[in-house]
Amino acid sequence: MIWEVFRQEEPGDYHQHVGNVHAPDREMAKQFAQIQHARRMQTNSLWVVPQSEIGEVTAEEASFGGETDKSYRWAMTYNDIDASFAEEVAESEEEQREAAEKRTEVNS
Amino acid sequence: MTDESSDTDGETAGSEADTTPAAATLDREELRDSQRAALEELLFRLADDEFVHAERATEWQIYAPTLESDLALANIAQDEFGHARLWYDLLQELGYTEAECIWERPAAEWTHSTLVELPFPEGGWGNAVVRGYLYDTAEQIRLEALVDTSYAPLADRVGKALSEEEYHREHAGNWLERLAGEPESHDRLQTAVDELFPHALSLFTPGEHEAEIVANGFRRATLDELRTEWLDTVVPRLESLGFDVPAVEGVSLDTEGDNRVPLDTEGDDGVGDDDEVSDDDGITDTETVPRPDVRGRDGTHTDVWAELYEEFTHTYHEIQPEEPATLTSEEV
Amino acid sequence: MDIETVEQRAGPRQFGPSDELPEEYRRAATRMIQFHANSEVMGGYLDKEFTRHAPSLDRKLANTAKVQDEIGHAQLLYRAAETLGVKTREEMLDELANGEGKFLNCFHYPVDSWYEAPMIDFFVDGGAMRRQATLKRTSWTPYAHAMDKICFEEGFHVKHGESILRELMTSSKAVQERVQETFEEWWPRILQFFGPTNDESHHDEFAQRVGLKTVSNDELRNSFLNMYVPKAEKYGLEIPEYPRIFERDDGTMAVREEDLDWEEFWTIAKNDYEGSHEQIGSRRRRQEAVEWVRQAMDSWDTTAESAPQAAD
Repeated sequence: MIWEVFRQEEPGDYHQHVGNVHAPDREMAKQFAQIQHARRMQTNSLWVVPQSEIGEVTAEEASFGGETDKSYRWAMTYNDIDASFAEEVAESEEEQREAAEKRTEVNS
Repeated sequence: MTDESSDTDGETAGSEADTTPAAATLDREELRDSQRAALEELLFRLADDEFVHAERATEWQIYAPTLESDLALANIAQDEFGHARLWYDLLQELGYTEAECIWERPAAEWTHSTLVELPFPEGGWGNAVVRGYLYDTAEQIRLEALVDTSYAPLADRVGKALSEEEYHREHAGNWLERLAGEPESHDRLQTAVDELFPHALSLFTPGEHEAEIVANGFRRATLDELRTEWLDTVVPRLESLGFDVPAVEGVSLDTEGDNRVPLDTEGDDGVGDDDEVSDDDGITDTETVPRPDVRGRDGTHTDVWAELYEEFTHTYHEIQPEEPATLTSEEV
Repeated sequence: MDIETVEQRAGPRQFGPSDELPEEYRRAATRMIQFHANSEVMGGYLDKEFTRHAPSLDRKLANTAKVQDEIGHAQLLYRAAETLGVKTREEMLDELANGEGKFLNCFHYPVDSWYEAPMIDFFVDGGAMRRQATLKRTSWTPYAHAMDKICFEEGFHVKHGESILRELMTSSKAVQERVQETFEEWWPRILQFFGPTNDESHHDEFAQRVGLKTVSNDELRNSFLNMYVPKAEKYGLEIPEYPRIFERDDGTMAVREEDLDWEEFWTIAKNDYEGSHEQIGSRRRRQEAVEWVRQAMDSWDTTAESAPQAAD
């Protein structure tokens, strides 16, 4: 049975997928994962999840975020409004800009 | 409202050719008046359906059964409004303004199907599911018949809408299947099928320019053909889930053979002479329900439409903006 | 971990589901996140009204997207609260529907016009965003993670609100007057958004000691005033004479709290204001109306679970 392994480096971090292990059950999966995926890398916590329990949807079959123009839901569309008066608004806009640029790059 | 001066009959090369124009070969400068009228009929129906369907769907925001289902339905509503914008934009390229398409257009000129204007009963998630299923299935069939449209600006946009419609159709189908099994939810869905199916038929009611729409290759199939495909899809699916599809007065669900009756043929009141439907069409109950006497497509609507229209245009008229705010990005 | 250790270790993203945390911390964090999640849902009851009124197709789209985001935030927050192991999401949603769940004062006032959209979307959301940005540094990690995602989205909400305000305040005189009237009605509620002064707040001190909260109500309100009063004025809104706003020695702004109606505020805090009854009643009715769907899904779940699992 294959178990997917997610590692969290430090408390407060997200768990990120780092690989998988073959193991007959959860206990063994945890043991194997410690060695295979955390023997050198800084680790605070590991998750093991049966691969068969993971559902997947890919960009092949789905159109994530849709294809029509949805710029109304992005902060930078409102470019006649200056976000700099509040740092949290400006920061959010910057994060959105980056995310949108990434989307455009990947899709083009 | 339209700029008549820009169309001159006979300018199009080979205008009276007996073959329909090929995919994406007609552009807006080349349209004759009759073509333009046909195209407008097609676009207004597309746009109005999506707009009004979305307007009702947004009523579910915050009221859906779970947080996740709320998010999903909200997305569908957004997509539909977005599609309405795709089609209204094409009308704007033909000389209309957004105000003329939506905010200042008289209620009696809207040509959406009555299916999409009906209010939801409180707690009517079953109604939302059935409506979504009937509508989204029809929408996909209609869009597929537009993929190879002769009108180039339309051809550009159909693919985008189709890709989003796929999620809608799967979403509705998934819910339909999951709610069909339990007796209580099954009953609620059946009630919705009974109420909505007769109205859904108006999706395929032809308008005065139907022949022109097909002859010019704006749409690659007749509404009658679309209806057949739709019936062949939704009726067996609903029946396989244990629902009865109501027999509607003057309408045969039979899509082949002698019982096949074209829908809303001009100068014909349908079957008329026989309320019984044939034994072999899967309908065991021969009791028919009356066909709603409003079609939506011709500007006639159910009583609820006037109220809905007043609600969504009210603020616009109070504010009287120079033009409705647009939010399209120039950056991304 | 005892409470002393929690206080010593308290800092941004210090604690998570794998830590043994004292009951007091778990309860305080649950109360705070549940309040936040409830507020997203109940804020939606106001915001959803604007979709129908929106005077342009794009505004309608933007409003729909914003309401969607709010439910998305509620989803994130209830999950973050659930990880504390005190209450399930279902319990929290039940509490909200039956009137036990608490939420922001501003969302106890029903709305019925588009002129209210900027009051909620710009001023209330602007205030909320001030607070939320500081919560990225909360000690409960799942809460901080939810904040990362929420703050990412909120910038759109505030700009959407400001854009509407600007449009309305450049419309006819009559429209501007309606907005001013609406502003005067909402302004005191917005000032109360940040709650009473610190020493009156029950939970504030503990929440700060254990790092759940990093900035006091007072500081938040004052920084909000510094940013949003000039914005209001920029668009031609007049700040009402009462409650009095004054400038402190350090140049920051503050409000004379005795000018605010705290009796109304505390009635709201008990869910007992007339608007509370209306909004919570609406929530209860709407939730009950679709109980049958949740039940049908539960039975479907059971069926699905009994099906054999795919073996690897």
